[in-house]
Amino acid sequence: MSSNKDILPPEITKDTGAVHPINHMKDSIMSLLVSFGFEIIDGPEIETEEFNFDMLNIKKTHPARQMHDTFYVENKSNLLRTHTSPVQIRGMLEKSPPLAFISGGKVYRKDDDATHLPMFHQIEGILVDENVSFAQLKDLIYKIVHSLFDEGIQLRFRPSYFPFTEPSAEVDILSSEGKWIEVLGCGLVNPTVLENCNIDSNKFSGLAFGLGIERIAMLKHNMNDIREFYKSNLDFLGQFK
Amino acid sequence: MKISYSHLVNQIKENPSIDMISESLFQLGHEHEVDGDILNMELTPNRGDCLSINGLLRDLSAFYTVNLKKKIYSEKINKLELDFENLSQNTCPKISFLKIEIDNISSEYKQYLDDYFIKLNLNKNNFFTDISNYLSYETGQPTHCYDANKINGKLVLQEMEINQEFHTLLDKKITLTGKNSFFSINDEVVNLAGVVGGKSTACTSETKTVLVECAFFEPEAIMGKSLKYNIQSEASHKFERFVDPEKHDYVIRRFINIVSEHANIKDMSFVSYDYKKKQAIKIPLNLNRINQILGIDITEDQYVDYLSKLGFIIKEKHIYVPSYRNDISSQNDLSEEVARVIGYNNISKYKLPLIRGEASIKDSIENKLRFFLIDHGFYEVINFPFSNEKSIDSIKIDNPLDSNKEHMRTNLINSLLENLAFNERRQKDSIKLFEISDVYTFKNDKIRKKRNLAIVASGRVGHNHIDFSKKINKKYLINLFKDALPTEDFAIKIFNREDLNSKIKNEIVGCELDIENFSTEVLNYKEEARPPRVFKRFSQISDLPCSTRDLSFSIKDFSSRKNLEKYILEYENELIKEKFIFDYFFNEKSAEIKIGFRFIFQSLNSTITEKQVNNVMNDIIRHTEKIKGVTIPGLN
Repeated sequence: MSSNKDILPPEITKDTGAVHPINHMKDSIMSLLVSFGFEIIDGPEIETEEFNFDMLNIKKTHPARQMHDTFYVENKSNLLRTHTSPVQIRGMLEKSPPLAFISGGKVYRKDDDATHLPMFHQIEGILVDENVSFAQLKDLIYKIVHSLFDEGIQLRFRPSYFPFTEPSAEVDILSSEGKWIEVLGCGLVNPTVLENCNIDSNKFSGLAFGLGIERIAMLKHNMNDIREFYKSNLDFLGQFK
Repeated sequence: MKISYSHLVNQIKENPSIDMISESLFQLGHEHEVDGDILNMELTPNRGDCLSINGLLRDLSAFYTVNLKKKIYSEKINKLELDFENLSQNTCPKISFLKIEIDNISSEYKQYLDDYFIKLNLNKNNFFTDISNYLSYETGQPTHCYDANKINGKLVLQEMEINQEFHTLLDKKITLTGKNSFFSINDEVVNLAGVVGGKSTACTSETKTVLVECAFFEPEAIMGKSLKYNIQSEASHKFERFVDPEKHDYVIRRFINIVSEHANIKDMSFVSYDYKKKQAIKIPLNLNRINQILGIDITEDQYVDYLSKLGFIIKEKHIYVPSYRNDISSQNDLSEEVARVIGYNNISKYKLPLIRGEASIKDSIENKLRFFLIDHGFYEVINFPFSNEKSIDSIKIDNPLDSNKEHMRTNLINSLLENLAFNERRQKDSIKLFEISDVYTFKNDKIRKKRNLAIVASGRVGHNHIDFSKKINKKYLINLFKDALPTEDFAIKIFNREDLNSKIKNEIVGCELDIENFSTEVLNYKEEARPPRVFKRFSQISDLPCSTRDLSFSIKDFSSRKNLEKYILEYENELIKEKFIFDYFFNEKSAEIKIGFRFIFQSLNSTITEKQVNNVMNDIIRHTEKIKGVTIPGLN
């Protein structure tokens, strides 16, 4: 038996597009951090050596400052920021502690292969207050990583080196295949950096963390080639509706 | 840097296994991979002091009883009268020389020396160079060996602008340009300081009299030189990361001892120039500060114990930093030492009070525009900002990755047009893209930033039966925005296809706008679509060509329509990438429904063949023919 319904035109499901997976991941992480009490701040992608390196305690001899690692522009008058940390410097120069900022966006390094690109995205956070400790940094990192991945996921902290934090750590998660995978870097803000931003390092201390959005997105989407993100291929973009 | 486990464990009383050593090194922050007996170390750039057996052992002393004592020559050594001038005392504040003459060259090495070459799979060079290389591995101090008989003039060290060809002992000719630190004899470069020696004064298997140079170079004098001249240099790797300036006497005496174990020394003499003696760094002992930084509660005895094990000297309420640790100067640095010994993972977390869990990201014009476009089938893309287009205000990159793209783009639309052409080449027939990004320009010595939104679209309006036959054009885009957003001048343009190298004739429309120019009325837009909460698993993409087939049905028994749609839209085959209803018509007069399905085929592995497509289509036809009241017009 046929009914009137049988002659109705096929239902039209709206053909929606999709946010780019990197921006989707960035927004998700930013939302999480905002819910933790961090305030979003922005800064330019074209920076000075002073903000990108000097203020962050990255000495003239540091390899990152070499021409083979950093893109310089207009006769070395400026550079393409190599991390989002200069935004935090600008934030600390504008506001007094206690403060808690996050900044996210594009950063540039002179790399190009299956795991590195000349442009990628970072989110970095900084919190400055009285008596901020490494133990509290660990608490925050656990909360971030557990929210991003799984409450039960195992973490490990490894000593590392970033000129702008001391002590510095890298954080790995244990994958379902039993492999440790690096997910973010963090540390206590180097007192020199606080002093550079006119913050009394005897009174205040800070914690900072930074993560690569592509890296997290690749883990979440189970991808192994970072280049897919930037081919603008509709077969790829259509998977993230 | 490769380190043999056996070379480490030989000097550790507890005789730990390689797994235990590996775990200890990880706790101390020394990343590595284990390959049999070899530890492939990837040390952080601040720990140049660990680029040797002794360096790693010093750190492992935090957990084990380590014996760092080696045999050294302990007698007085005659003073060397050397014709040497240091014109670059700022970059080389300390340098020592040892001259040794031996009777005969040993043909066999002692086991420990042989073992170094065997374990690390290294080639031997000549007697003196082999000892020099071994000592660098053992102590971390690079030394350079000149054949003393080839030095026929005053040896001068200087840092200056130069343009001279230099024949390295690696038999590679390089042209030194710009500012370099180098040793020269009679104005001829004989050694690129801290990087590589020269062929003209190099030791050979015949060398019996050697001049050993043991120097401290400031890292900035060496930095980037091996990369600039494309020279693999372990010495420069170490000098760039700081070498202990206080170990010359020890290294020279160790050198003599090793030579004496292999040959009869006829004569030797030594000289050391110390132009600017470095003062030991001392930091006040402040346990409260360390406990506060780390959020722990250790006693002073524990604190002193941890630091003492790592070679720090504690006296009169001060901590004296060992000369090999140029990375320690503050309480925070000391706290990291304590944390490494305790283990980062053994420090308990402590609740951070700021976390509130209340705030959320506010709606922004940018996000509203993003969601409006997504609601209307647009996909967001992100492009690199590097461009081959030079304009009057484009920013030039001094050191581009690709010399064809040495400018920063001054618009987004050109990148989007490239994206559109890319997708057309991939047989996409409905393309709607947008990008939101900063755009930078350079004018009157000032960098200016704008936040732009760019849109391009071309091809079919959509794939459903209503939109399939409609083409995207200027009117479509104008109406789309007009109906949903406040009255903005979108300045929709039609773009020329000439530069796109495309045979497709569809109109390309789009625009580029400054986000700041949008009014806050945009914030009133109520979006329908939101990004998914679940992060979807990525499916592999094929770069192989697609093949398309359409199948139209006539339905007289309307009750069968549901069966037909269900069968086709749920039909699974790995070669079918997409399927949808592109046509629908109900003819009341003839009491007939005409419905058309499109199938897009693509393989992940090989170019799809007619036969493969026909097999799938025949299977579909075979099954649909059996549905009552459904026929395929034109099919016998």
